[in-house]
Amino acid sequence: MAPAESTLPDKRLVADTLSGDDEAFAELTRRHKSRVFGVAARFARDASELDDICQDVFVQAYFKLRQFRGDSPFEHWLMRITTYKCYDYLRKRQRGGAAISTDAMLESGYEPVAPAPVEPHPALDRFHSALAELSPKERLVITLLELEDRTLQEISELTGWSVNNVKVRAFRARAALRKLMETTP
Amino acid sequence: MNDPQSDAQLDSLFAQARARRADTSAIEYGFETRVMARLRNEKQPGSIWALVSWRMMPFFAACVLGLVVWRVDMASEVDDAAQTASADNPSALDSLGGLEL
Repeated sequence: MAPAESTLPDKRLVADTLSGDDEAFAELTRRHKSRVFGVAARFARDASELDDICQDVFVQAYFKLRQFRGDSPFEHWLMRITTYKCYDYLRKRQRGGAAISTDAMLESGYEPVAPAPVEPHPALDRFHSALAELSPKERLVITLLELEDRTLQEISELTGWSVNNVKVRAFRARAALRKLMETTP
Repeated sequence: MNDPQSDAQLDSLFAQARARRADTSAIEYGFETRVMARLRNEKQPGSIWALVSWRMMPFFAACVLGLVVWRVDMASEVDDAAQTASADNPSALDSLGGLEL
């Protein structure tokens, strides 16, 4: 059984999980949750959705753990699952359409995912509203590139799109965002 | 052509949004416990049966469709047979239907 706050390498914890030690997977979750939360928070609308996305990521990671070949760090593999999950949620939201009301958010114990600014920042609020208007693919690529500071190569590996494809999508996303910013009052 | 001023403004907004990293520590609290509980729940045999039955749904649907087609086919065959019988011997059909008292 893996001890609390284990210093074992990820690969060892993966092997332990595969041999039936669920505590090893709990340690992997503890170790990587902040990174997953950090990325997912860029896409989630509220605390509840953020928790759902992150749980889905780790549940999928657990059931697909045999597919982790170990030729790249576990975190990279986990980030790929996170990217796919965030994209799935963006697509579901686009299909679902309706936005969550403020009342529903407050009832669910919602706290703003981004820390509330000390001073109102209308330009940044407008920016986030415009970002939410982008298509799932545009939102994904621009968030990873500009907000998560990922390189084109990294985004290509995370999404499975070619580098050229990522470049084109990022260019279009930026143009769409600029246009939305100009038209949003 | 892109307006350099709006590009610069966008870059500045990206930088500000990048700097505002979300504080998710409150939501992260007890997260691994929730994940492990969900995993235990999803590993239960009941949920596996539910998953299997959902995956078998197209098969069940195909079976129902096949049965419906077969029934319709049988019904039309019986109708044809009844029509043929009534054309050949109408009184025999009446006696079968209990019309002759």
